[in-house]
Amino acid sequence: MSKRVRVAITGIGMVTPIGNTTAATWDALRAGKSGAGPITIFDATGFSTRIGAEVKGFDFENGIADRKLLKLASRSHRFALNAAEQALADAGIRPTAETAERWGLVVGAGMMGVSFEELSSVHRHAAADGELHPDQLLAPDYPADPISFCRTQTNAGLSLLTKNFGVRGYASAVHTACSSGGQAIGTALKVMRRGNVDAMIAGGFDSMLNPIGLSGFCLLGALSTDNDTPERASRPFDATRNGFLLGEGAAFLVLEKWESARARGAKIYAELAGDGNSLSCYRITDTPPDGDGPIQAIRQSLADAGLKPEDIDYVNAHGTSTQMNDRSECVALGAVMGDHLQNVAVSSTKSSMGHLIAAAGAVEAAVCALAIRDGIAPVNANWSTPDPQCSNINLVTGQSRPMRISAALSNSLGFGGSNSSLTFRHPDLVEA
Amino acid sequence: MSTSPRIAITGSGAVCGAGMTVEKIFAAVLGGQSAVAPIALWDAEHWPIRLAAGVNGVSDRELVEDRKLHKSISRTDFFGIHAAGVAVKSSGIPAHRETLDAADVPFFNDRSGIVVGSGGGAYNSNYEYLPLMTVAGGDLRKFGEELGATVNPMWLLRNLPNNVLCHVGIRHMFKGTNACITNQCAGGVLAVAEAAESLRMDEADRIVAVGHDTLIEPEAVLGYHKLGLLSTDVLRPFDRDRTGTIFGEGGAAVMLEKFDGAQARKAAILGEFLGHGCVTEATGIVDLRPDGDGPARAIALALADAGIAAADVGMIVAHGNGTIASDASEAKGILRVFGGNPPPVTAFKWAVGHLIAASGILDLVLALEALRHGVVPGVPTLNTVDPEFSTLPVSREAQKPRSAIALVLCRGFGGMNVALIVRAAKA
Repeated sequence: MSKRVRVAITGIGMVTPIGNTTAATWDALRAGKSGAGPITIFDATGFSTRIGAEVKGFDFENGIADRKLLKLASRSHRFALNAAEQALADAGIRPTAETAERWGLVVGAGMMGVSFEELSSVHRHAAADGELHPDQLLAPDYPADPISFCRTQTNAGLSLLTKNFGVRGYASAVHTACSSGGQAIGTALKVMRRGNVDAMIAGGFDSMLNPIGLSGFCLLGALSTDNDTPERASRPFDATRNGFLLGEGAAFLVLEKWESARARGAKIYAELAGDGNSLSCYRITDTPPDGDGPIQAIRQSLADAGLKPEDIDYVNAHGTSTQMNDRSECVALGAVMGDHLQNVAVSSTKSSMGHLIAAAGAVEAAVCALAIRDGIAPVNANWSTPDPQCSNINLVTGQSRPMRISAALSNSLGFGGSNSSLTFRHPDLVEA
Repeated sequence: MSTSPRIAITGSGAVCGAGMTVEKIFAAVLGGQSAVAPIALWDAEHWPIRLAAGVNGVSDRELVEDRKLHKSISRTDFFGIHAAGVAVKSSGIPAHRETLDAADVPFFNDRSGIVVGSGGGAYNSNYEYLPLMTVAGGDLRKFGEELGATVNPMWLLRNLPNNVLCHVGIRHMFKGTNACITNQCAGGVLAVAEAAESLRMDEADRIVAVGHDTLIEPEAVLGYHKLGLLSTDVLRPFDRDRTGTIFGEGGAAVMLEKFDGAQARKAAILGEFLGHGCVTEATGIVDLRPDGDGPARAIALALADAGIAAADVGMIVAHGNGTIASDASEAKGILRVFGGNPPPVTAFKWAVGHLIAASGILDLVLALEALRHGVVPGVPTLNTVDPEFSTLPVSREAQKPRSAIALVLCRGFGGMNVALIVRAAKA
């Protein structure tokens, strides 16, 4: 095999429940601040779970010059446009007329296309009795608005991003539930390596904080119902954990070929070094108790990066704060890392900002890059009660841990059984 | 790329309005039969659009044998699971796995992957909330309180875009590399391209690529109609008098394997994947460039990836969706690359409808059949090739492919353009 393309992370942008910029998010994460609270976007007081981690104080109307394009953008699309713009500004490079064809874009996109308002409009006009009467959609007073229809297309977010930033090369959107963001970044790595493009914007965006999205998870009993203590509701690896906290947001990375990034004097956060990918083939909502599936993804990711388990200093766990996931993930980490696991700092970003679903893997990739740059393993907030079944990991409890991080791993394990594991390396190691 | 391993296509499967097997669908296309018929999924008699190529009169059981699964998947998933099942079975891989030592099976499974291009069904699935909305009467608090008593707890799971990935994986124990692509029309063809790249990069030894979709839903039909993209009568690709596209639904799948591995297990090889190209025109959700920039660039990339010249291409299966803007710019893109001497061009949507996320991968499956039969099926709905691109060699009558190599074009929202190149094995 010829010399492999090395991929540098040169830009990061984030819009999360704990901060509307990368810096704000990273500060809050290191401090273990919670982004949780009672849901305010809509009246959730009748739901079994009434709490969530909302993006706060976000300027939905500004930041994107193209007003027409902005009109087509949903709530999560706006997070995405903002985060991608942040990432490009941070990297100090963006597609130009000359380079556009050599730029690519891959997103992990959320599954919610139709907004609750649009569904309510269908209900009002054509399904008042609870059943759709298609002919009533044809009535002149039904606002079949082409703009809102376009917004519901599965690749609407991708379309708006490529147009706004003028990306004309490879473009794709993926959705594997909670592992979408990780898979998007893994796909971007592959596209870079095979030489289809020279640079990429890769990330994820999602918001299921709406009546339908919240309903879906409430019906499954997947969410924490700690409605009186929202900031403590997400406590991955704590024995008393009782479900995840629904978040929203977006994160994007700018990826460049290592040599080109160095040649233009770009700052490099970390190398995006490896991608591993497996399917659990177990049950749609559960990960197998024996870690089968995640184990293969983690091993592949390490092998792909040319690393051994002993090289890993920090693991950003999927850590959803459900009984099943956290236990299974600990088993998988134990199987891969063996005795070295006690030397590996582990924490879950979801302890602080909740579960951003299709954006989670992208946010957590960004967190790994920041952890490597600053030499800090962010705290796993809210942990207090040891779980004997999760006692094999060296959890970062209490406060964030300053430490040299030469290599980090980020796991994303989704509904449907898709497992994604990404490996990141410190720039010094690449050039050692 | 000369160094990358060759990739064999060892199985295919499809379901659409024209039939439940590849043979039947191809026979319909070749025989000039269109599956376009009155919409049967709701009473569309008063609708401005009354036609689609639906999968009608087929039971859930015929599509997915496992009855337990029926409650936990949606309509589009039935098609994907069916097509994938046929592709996997026809490749002989399950039978081959039976011959392995038990100790080798886990490794075999870990080296078997699945990539899905997943489509919509985005509107009807939400209607499970309509009765609850009536009960709630606009009061969200009540909506929340009555939720558990009114909506099926499986709702979210039934509507995951990655259901086909999950269930095909479980059914066949394909536990290796996987992806679910939600890139509207480009989904199915990108599934093939990504599967091929995963084999080239040695992430797996065999991967099934699947595409599935159904857009025959009232809101989808209405939305496309308002955008002026649907025909009220006939889909006439590249015709001077074309008026729009017509929806279809279904799924298609191909089994891809490393060539060496397929030969070693003496698999019947249908053809070979040669290359792909994927670009966006960065034109937003619906718009496209009139100059054919996207198709031309995607074709050029695919030719380079396959390591062949334009003159080596024996036939082109165009996207040919019958809309005014897409057909014109697609023809321009083709002519830009192939100059004054393009190989025979055809398109299949006039017969099977537009399967959106499954459209391009179904075209690929049918392209292989066409090459294996040594025929480029004609387009019987074509009367007069649009004078704006009259040199495009598309015709009512069947043509002869110039070689065993086909170029398949797929275009989609987002300014997406994907080109795939395959070579058929001798039938």
